[in-house]
Amino acid sequence: MSKPELWVIAERRLDHVEPTTFQLLTKARQLAGDRFHTVAILFEATNDHLETELQPYAPDEIRIVRDDRFPTATDAEHADALAQLVAQYQPNSILFGATITGRSIAPRLQAKLLTGLTADCLDLRFDDETLVATKPSYGDNIMCEIICPDHRPQMATVRPNTFVAEPATGTAELTPVTVAFHPVERLQVKTATPVVNTATTVGDASRVVALGRGAANTATIDTATRLAEKLGGRIGVSRPLTDLDRFTHDDQIGQSGNTIHPDLILNFGISGAVQYLVGMQSAKTIVAVNSDSNAPIFDVADYGYVGDANAFMTALLAQFV
Amino acid sequence: MKPKTIVVCIKQVPETNEVTIDPQTHNLDRRGLAGIMNPFDKNAVEQALQLADQTPAKVVLLSMGPDDYAESLREGMAMGADAGYLLSDRAFAGADTLATGYVIAQAIKQIGEVDLVLFGRQAVDADTGQVGPIVAEFLHQPQITYAASLRLSGDNEITAERLLEDTKQTLVAQLPAVVTVRSELNTPRYPTPRNIQLSFEKPLTIWHHDDLDLDDSRLGQAGSPTIVTKVYEPKPTKRELTSLTGTPTEAASQLIKALKAHQLI
Ligand SMILES: Cc1cc2nc3c(=O)[nH]c(=O)nc-3n(C[C@H](O)[C@H](O)[C@H](O)COP(=O)(O)OP(=O)(O)OC[C@H]3O[C@@H](n4cnc5c(N)ncnc54)[C@H](O)[C@@H]3O)c2cc1C
Ligand SMILES: Cc1cc2nc3c(=O)[nH]c(=O)nc-3n(C[C@H](O)[C@H](O)[C@H](O)COP(=O)(O)OP(=O)(O)OC[C@H]3O[C@@H](n4cnc5c(N)ncnc54)[C@H](O)[C@@H]3O)c2cc1C
Repeated sequence: MSKPELWVIAERRLDHVEPTTFQLLTKARQLAGDRFHTVAILFEATNDHLETELQPYAPDEIRIVRDDRFPTATDAEHADALAQLVAQYQPNSILFGATITGRSIAPRLQAKLLTGLTADCLDLRFDDETLVATKPSYGDNIMCEIICPDHRPQMATVRPNTFVAEPATGTAELTPVTVAFHPVERLQVKTATPVVNTATTVGDASRVVALGRGAANTATIDTATRLAEKLGGRIGVSRPLTDLDRFTHDDQIGQSGNTIHPDLILNFGISGAVQYLVGMQSAKTIVAVNSDSNAPIFDVADYGYVGDANAFMTALLAQFV
Repeated sequence: MKPKTIVVCIKQVPETNEVTIDPQTHNLDRRGLAGIMNPFDKNAVEQALQLADQTPAKVVLLSMGPDDYAESLREGMAMGADAGYLLSDRAFAGADTLATGYVIAQAIKQIGEVDLVLFGRQAVDADTGQVGPIVAEFLHQPQITYAASLRLSGDNEITAERLLEDTKQTLVAQLPAVVTVRSELNTPRYPTPRNIQLSFEKPLTIWHHDDLDLDDSRLGQAGSPTIVTKVYEPKPTKRELTSLTGTPTEAASQLIKALKAHQLI
């Protein structure tokens, strides 16, 4: 018998593949072991070669639908095409990024297939061939595990940056496939303007100096800026600090901001609310400085100092050579 | 021109997200939590009312849930909506998004000649945002999700802006259509005392199982492919804490040593 298939739907972001796709391909490989056949599903125009971006993440197979209409197709047209592929290949499970696009197409496909879809997942595992998806609810205050025992395919959307993309060795088999394009005449995309966002986010830095409400005065932020420079890193903030003129949502760490995986994060004056912690707890080394020895941030820290943020930072800077 | 019918789907949610787990039963402890209209759904109601200012239209609210969901329907009518439908039956309980979407879609067919169905971006409790696209599929209608603006651009046509992560789209749909709205698109109005009073004279219809054309195998828990197997409060993975001690200077020097040992500086 052939292996059950685990699919990742590759998402397009302008002329490239959206990074969540690489994260999902990496996770899919880890989940699959030798029990599942991992497949990336890619829609592209006849002159595109986005498969070259997928190949480093080594799915077992990349199925490519080449049709100039798909890169600009609407949700229902995509869902229709995916339903045709599902009927043909009968996958065990399908993963989407929980991006706006993924969260729009996946439920539409779910309704066509009359199956289960778990939203915005933060973890995935298989118990035999049953996908166990962990999803947050109530603003990340509660986690639940959801399964879809009797319907196939099992489907999930996964929050961007939940998993870390890691290139792997292996050669993906490239398979061209065809589907019928059924246009939805009643919906037209009239204009599509790229929103060029050149701002880097705190998610790009491998070293982060994170500031919270206990490190929000100008002097402390100035010290932190110098510290971040010395470390070759970047400043990140908890949500309350995005109210300050100096910071934007691009700087925010946490559930409603960026999920980050730096090698080092130094937290100053941050209490450690769950909504903050979900965004940074996979950092390799976590340091916390807080004047309250009972602050929850110390529970997740490797190194902790109970004291004033600015005083500690100043002492740290003074000792850097 | 015949007045349009705009249906707004609303969910009632707990007033706070500070829910806990009952240590005995391992179920969500929602005791004492009052229900409010899902905040994102207020944006959908507001949008419907603004469209009704643009063209003659009847704004109808629709909610599936227990009888106390009537409160949110009243709240929406106090904002200015014309009528409310509550879909309430034990058979609907325990529905996941698929079974919820099915009953809502059947009710919309029953209301009949609906031109536009509006949804909030997502419910703030379960946070899936799936019900809108599911209903759109069941009704075989075009969908515009996460609309950042929405207006009537012709007799039978709407124009919406949609903000994807990298692209701003302008979409034009022929009615009937389904739209889910972002909270950025408007500021919901407050009910005026007069509208609150009027809301009690507006029709609130309760539909039970037998009032709708339903396939029983698609309802409630039995019609839900997904099962919640475990609910828990997230406990961040605890790490072994090494305390830095003494004056800031002493503590900083301990940290520098440790970071050097890990090749972090
Ligand atoms: C749906 C939802 C989504 C959310 N999303 C996010 C999110 O993405 N990101 C996020 O950060 N938050 C988010 N929050 C908010 C979150 O719950 C917390 O309110 C927030 O993280 C608190 O920020 P803080 O730690 O900076 O402030 P506080 O909790 O006020 O903590 C300040 C800390 O500073 C310490 N302190 C005070 N003075 C000093 C000093 N001189 N030196 C050292 N320490 C000092 C205090 O002891 C305290 O621990 C969200 C909340 C909800 C409900
Ligand atoms: C902790 C928890 C996690 C869950 N996770 C999932 C999951 O991952 N997958 C899944 O399929 N089900 C899930 N469910 C079940 C889901 O909450 C219910 O199906 C619910 O009825 C609808 O989904 P939602 O709350 O996510 O609404 P959303 O899809 O987020 O709601 C979007 C919009 O649909 C409309 N709407 C939603 N519910 C109603 C209603 N009852 N009446 C009228 N309009 C409505 C509103 O306009 C709302 O803004 C979960 C339930 C719980 C308690």
